[in-house]
Amino acid sequence: MHRSRLKAVTALLGVLALVGAACSKSSSSPGGETGTPAPTDQTVCASADLTAGDLLAKICESGLIRFATDPVYPPQSSLNPQTGEYEGFDIDTATEIAKRMGLEIEWATPDWTVLTAGGWNDRWDVSVGSMTITPERAEVLYFTQPYYFAPAGFAVHADNTTITSAADLAGQKVGVCGGCTYEDYLNGTLQIPDYTIDFAVAGAELVTYKTDKPAIDDLALGDCVRLCAAFSAVPTLQGAIDAGKAIKIVGPPLFYEPLAVAIDRSAPLDAASFVAALDEIVAQMHADGTLTAFSMATYGEDLTIQQGA
Amino acid sequence: MAAHIEIQGGAGETRPPEHPLDAGTRLSFRTKVVLVWTGIFALLGIFFWLAKFDIAWMNRTFKFIITGVWVTVVIAIVSIFFAVVLALLGSLGRLSKNAVAYGVSGFYTSFYRGTPLIVQIFLVYLALPQIGSSLQDRGLIGSTLARYFVLSAVLAGIIALSLNYGAYMTEIFRAGILSVGPDQTEAADALGMSYKQRMRRVVLPQAFKVIIPPTGNEFIAMIKDTALVSLIASSIFWYDIFKRATVAGNHDFKNLEALVVTAGIYWALTAIFTLFQTKLETRVSKGYVRQAGTPSRKPGAKRLEEQSRREDET
Repeated sequence: MHRSRLKAVTALLGVLALVGAACSKSSSSPGGETGTPAPTDQTVCASADLTAGDLLAKICESGLIRFATDPVYPPQSSLNPQTGEYEGFDIDTATEIAKRMGLEIEWATPDWTVLTAGGWNDRWDVSVGSMTITPERAEVLYFTQPYYFAPAGFAVHADNTTITSAADLAGQKVGVCGGCTYEDYLNGTLQIPDYTIDFAVAGAELVTYKTDKPAIDDLALGDCVRLCAAFSAVPTLQGAIDAGKAIKIVGPPLFYEPLAVAIDRSAPLDAASFVAALDEIVAQMHADGTLTAFSMATYGEDLTIQQGA
Repeated sequence: MAAHIEIQGGAGETRPPEHPLDAGTRLSFRTKVVLVWTGIFALLGIFFWLAKFDIAWMNRTFKFIITGVWVTVVIAIVSIFFAVVLALLGSLGRLSKNAVAYGVSGFYTSFYRGTPLIVQIFLVYLALPQIGSSLQDRGLIGSTLARYFVLSAVLAGIIALSLNYGAYMTEIFRAGILSVGPDQTEAADALGMSYKQRMRRVVLPQAFKVIIPPTGNEFIAMIKDTALVSLIASSIFWYDIFKRATVAGNHDFKNLEALVVTAGIYWALTAIFTLFQTKLETRVSKGYVRQAGTPSRKPGAKRLEEQSRREDET
């Protein structure tokens, strides 16, 4: 009796040790792909002042940049189950940023609302997650200049013939992600600094979802079965159509959102030089055509130039 | 008594061949059950076919999703271990005459049973770091110590699951301890045993017979609740079955297929652990169940058993 109890305790301690080992392992090895650091003489970290004691110095010292991404938004960010690798426009951009910083990558995949609320507690350094710049978010996060501009629009079921413009959505059930900028747009409350937004949709009956995907699934069930329309990023809607969902995009994009790299404002170390370095990298990637190349590869069009607005 | 019936039902092996329901039919009870299950599975197969799932995608992605099984199992096993410890302490507190122990355990069960698990997970994950940094701002702790308040998603999940299930199981443990008759306590007192000795040697060994079956149930429920942990954050190393299904389904617009695969995996997992549970229950109830061959289903048989057990022990 006594011996078997001892065995049980030993087994449990074994399990705990395993968890402990796994914990420490996961922090040292990035889960996904690792960016290959560029030659050290060209990178940001190579020329950074490591004695400054600020956030940039700390990150360069660690040799590791921790990106937050929400991998449920193809074609921006998703995880390919066949390869086990993250992929998408955001992932390409983040990988290139790490390369120009001269840092290895570690991915974290927090819930979207955890990300936009700020207060990251040093769990990850940067979000390259197609985040729209809004005044509320700017209170808790620093933003770089936009790295691209995502067109937003809506789709209806393939069989629908009655909804042909944004005005036709009045009184109809429209699916949208909850707590995202699209919901704010449909409610007429969306604010983006330096951009004027034309609220073309009025009086729609909103049905909110955790992400855009279930809304698209519900729309594909049939014309006005659960939803008459789904509001999302046009590339996301196009991705659903390419995957065989019976929906169609109506009209040209209603507005373009500026999407930027974000950094937590509540970080205890001074983030100014880090934000400036990231902003500079985004500017370079715009200038040398890197972002355009990524955009053409992912979206088939150049979304890195500000349109509309 | 109630628990005893549960043990026999759970064991499922004590059903005698001459079951009364078999009278006058050519098919045995067991055969009939097999036929019913075959029918149900055929029906499920038809539903499956009607739903037009992309079977090829499910086959292709199965390996990616099932890779998360070990995360699910490790989180569940570590959490149930700490839940048992908390439940034992909690139940002793609930039965204690010490006002502090009674008060603390009373608040513990009330709060953790009264709030949603998902809220508790978010509280541990998000609120603890704020407390840590607030303490640091006030100069009460150093920055190294404050770092320990920032838990990883998995650790936060394990803590929340342990606390939540520990609170539920406190009541199970309390009932188990109370099921050991007062005569046992009196007898232990008469032998001059201390509280510790009485609990360790007399009360708890008998209480565990009552406690183990519902604890197994809690563990099986917990295996499925580990899915909630993936709602906060993690690196791909710590992706459990559910998180893997979510990202895989989103990658290819195959959410439904991914969820069906997940359901199958969770089902298989709980079936395996149910098997273990049955074995454990049989083992614990050994000595309380009549050997095969003797009729044990007569009314009052269990009461007789109980009596003879008492006689054996005293």
